[in-house]
Amino acid sequence: QEKISAVVIDGYPARALWVREFTDFFIPEVDKRLAETGNYQMEWQENYGGSIVKPRGVLEGIQLGLGDIGIVTTIFHSSKLPSQGIAGSTPFVSSDARAVAKAVDEIAREFPAMNNEFEAQNQVYLATGVVLDTYQIFCSSEVSSVADLEGKKIAGAGLNLRYLEGIKDAAGVRGGLTDFYNMVQTGLVDCAMLWPEAAATFKIAEVAPYMLQADLGAVNTKTVTVNAGYWSGLPDEVKDVLRAVAIDYRNHVASIAMDIAAASKAAYIEAGGTIVEVSAEDRAVWANSMPNIAQEWAETLNANGEQGTEMLSAYLAKLADAGFSGVRDWTAN
Amino acid sequence: MSPIEIGLISVVAIVFLIYSGVYIPVALGMVSFVSIWLMRDNFTLALNLLKIAVGDSAMEYSFATIPLFTFMGLIVSKAGLGRDIYAVMTMRFRKVKGGIGMATVGANAVFAAVTGSSIASASVFTKVSVPQMMAQDYNSRFAVGVVAGSSVLGMIIPPSAMLIIYSFVAEQSVGDMFLAGVIPGILLAIAYVAAIWFMGRFTPNFVGGRVVEDTEWMSAREIASKTLPTLFLITVVLGGIYTGWLTAVEAGAAGALVALIIAFFRRSMTPKAFWNALLETGHITAAILFLITAASIYSRMLGLAGLPNQLEDLLAGSSASFWTVMLLYVLLMLFLGTLLDTASIILIVVPLFLPLVEALDMSLIWFGIITVVGAEIGLLTPPLGISCFVIKSTIDDDRISLKDVFMGALPFAFVMLIVLFILIEFPILSLALI
Amino acid sequence: MFKSAVAGLSRITNTLAIATNALGTLVVLALVVILNVDVISRGVFSAPLKGTYEMVQFSVVLIVFLQLADVVRVDRLTRSDGFLNVVHARRPLVAANLRRIINAISAIFMGLIAYITFPEFLHMWSTQDYFGVPGLFTLPWWPVKLVISMGTTLSCLIFVLKVIAGKDRSELVRTPEHDES
Ligand code: NA
Ligand code: NA
Repeated sequence: QEKISAVVIDGYPARALWVREFTDFFIPEVDKRLAETGNYQMEWQENYGGSIVKPRGVLEGIQLGLGDIGIVTTIFHSSKLPSQGIAGSTPFVSSDARAVAKAVDEIAREFPAMNNEFEAQNQVYLATGVVLDTYQIFCSSEVSSVADLEGKKIAGAGLNLRYLEGIKDAAGVRGGLTDFYNMVQTGLVDCAMLWPEAAATFKIAEVAPYMLQADLGAVNTKTVTVNAGYWSGLPDEVKDVLRAVAIDYRNHVASIAMDIAAASKAAYIEAGGTIVEVSAEDRAVWANSMPNIAQEWAETLNANGEQGTEMLSAYLAKLADAGFSGVRDWTAN
Repeated sequence: MSPIEIGLISVVAIVFLIYSGVYIPVALGMVSFVSIWLMRDNFTLALNLLKIAVGDSAMEYSFATIPLFTFMGLIVSKAGLGRDIYAVMTMRFRKVKGGIGMATVGANAVFAAVTGSSIASASVFTKVSVPQMMAQDYNSRFAVGVVAGSSVLGMIIPPSAMLIIYSFVAEQSVGDMFLAGVIPGILLAIAYVAAIWFMGRFTPNFVGGRVVEDTEWMSAREIASKTLPTLFLITVVLGGIYTGWLTAVEAGAAGALVALIIAFFRRSMTPKAFWNALLETGHITAAILFLITAASIYSRMLGLAGLPNQLEDLLAGSSASFWTVMLLYVLLMLFLGTLLDTASIILIVVPLFLPLVEALDMSLIWFGIITVVGAEIGLLTPPLGISCFVIKSTIDDDRISLKDVFMGALPFAFVMLIVLFILIEFPILSLALI
Repeated sequence: MFKSAVAGLSRITNTLAIATNALGTLVVLALVVILNVDVISRGVFSAPLKGTYEMVQFSVVLIVFLQLADVVRVDRLTRSDGFLNVVHARRPLVAANLRRIINAISAIFMGLIAYITFPEFLHMWSTQDYFGVPGLFTLPWWPVKLVISMGTTLSCLIFVLKVIAGKDRSELVRTPEHDES
């Protein structure tokens, strides 16, 4: 029996959902499957919460070999990993984390773009790890439709601030997840964009009791990768097990995310929150007044010599096959 | 070699190098570099560790608080705000035995809320307070001791560079750390005042001084003009953070702007002094953040060696009690405090103890207050006590030796230690405002 | 001949250190301005400045590495030199040599960082990698990498010159920033 050591890194702490499931699901599952033949045994060393890298540093940490396997938070790296913006650039399509995770993962396997981007960072793509269920809008005062967002200050982070370009006079205010409660409470902003699980964690219902169910869509945020040098030194049997478990991990985490989202919505109502449904027409109006960020995304990839346009169509087709078609056709100009 | 052994050897090597006079960031960085190189037998990996740590350690939004609050503190010092508060305070405390000492503590506590460093407090109050106390026949050791002791308030009461540094190492919010420092800082100030009262009562010779009868009362207008600028600044900074209107970084920027406006209206600053304040802000920021960067190389090295995991396992297997860990921690800080500055102590001990604290399920914010107060005792202890050095070099009076400063500060260091144990026993004191 | 070459080089590095220091100082000022403009335009005009967060992050790194060489020049890098001062009082020659060794180690450390970050600058320059969110606000990475490698290179050179010259002041504490003038 050969022993193989593996240093796993993430900058987020061990209590974060995807990290916890890496410890409780991914690792035992790999051990179990390797034990079936008994040829190899992994020796795991897990380093989370900034003990080797910070959240933003996982990509570089895997690249430089400070960790062998890592969970890269891709939204930090729009420049190095542009193709990872695929779900974020196609809002209003699907709020099902499982479907989005699967579609993104298949795109990664059918088109070379995602693999190429990670290869340039000296690492191998294993699977799309984590998908948030969907962003919603949480407001301090009563809102009954999307039109009520006009002229409001809305907190968000990253790509989702661009969704606000579809709302007249709405000002996006950049903030960290931990600041949103305060920002809404003090009136610094009128609303905040976050997903239900985060809303429950940070007790957003206390300050923003109106949730506009805009269903902006599930977004892929994390990817499990392996250092290229480490990968090439692994026996084929271990590689196969890692690949297979990565896909199971993807589905496992996505379905947990969906369960948590449902529970979080219930908790939000219980805490005194009101969920305001948004009609399909309203969502369509919003989506249609936005710039076509999906096209921008595809063109960026085309310019990099990748098949951006084809990837976009294929991705949306996969979601349509799974029963999710958007209120706006992002492939049309 | 086991990770624990590597960890221990590297700590010994770092302490040895630092005590021999090697620049602290260089000692931290080089020992970490060599440790990785030997441990993994991989020179490139060691270089890569340097690369990633230098690349992303300084790149932190909340670090902007360091230059901003430093700049604000320099401006308010130069604008004479400390002197004004002191003048108002002495008027109130004149008739009590040791009264000017109490006034110095009070003025320091207020001034601490607008400056982020103990050095600023020590140098400002050496100039305004020591000469007055000497003129009223106070014991010179007591006079400098009070200034040294109360200078540490500057880094416990927010804003504080040390709370910022801790919040980075332990990944806590700077705003929360600031709020956590308020009650412990006030508590320490009260403990100092009580200690002075006791000293005046039971060791009057150590205090000295005569009671002054010719009290001149200031007009309400004068009091207002001396206190309002500072109160306004405190309101902007702490109020902004407390209400959530401003992040700690924004509060720093707003505070710097307000301080500049105050200095401008009082016509108390030349363009040259303004430029110097900017230059010094840069120097201090670079020195602190380079130290933080090097410390992050060291803590990442410990992580790569697997030390945090080993410590957790060790703790799970043993039954180290809460007080065992805390006593060990305080002792280590006191030991390092003999020769190291506060920031270095925090950066060296926190990565070692963080896994233990997390395993014991203690609040990291409370732990931060313990760390900052414990590490600051070192400001007052020989042979290297920065606050005492600053006082000695500012005072320019050959009758007062460095030894006198240390001797005078000793009772105050002892009071700090007692307050530290109170803070350990009652976490609510640190956590009430959050 | 050698001595005058060292002195000349020393003048050049010192001038450069002071110049980058002044630049870093302007960054401090810019930080105060940007944040206040953002706070005011957000609060009063409901129009926050785009990219404040990114600019603040960048400016912190710029301040550190633009100032580093000057910090080295005036010997204000954090250290505990109590022991050195004791040795200096008894055996000045030993202390001087000890300082040389320390400066040499420091030069190596700075040199290693410069050596590992300079290729990073070239890489960022050629790939034009950026930081931030496209369509909202982005900043190129290369200036940061350039400043880090330049700052550490300059610091390395200053340490090397200190080793050669063997001159180093020793004072109890240096706090010119609190002179009230
Ligand atoms: Na303070
Ligand atoms: Na000390």
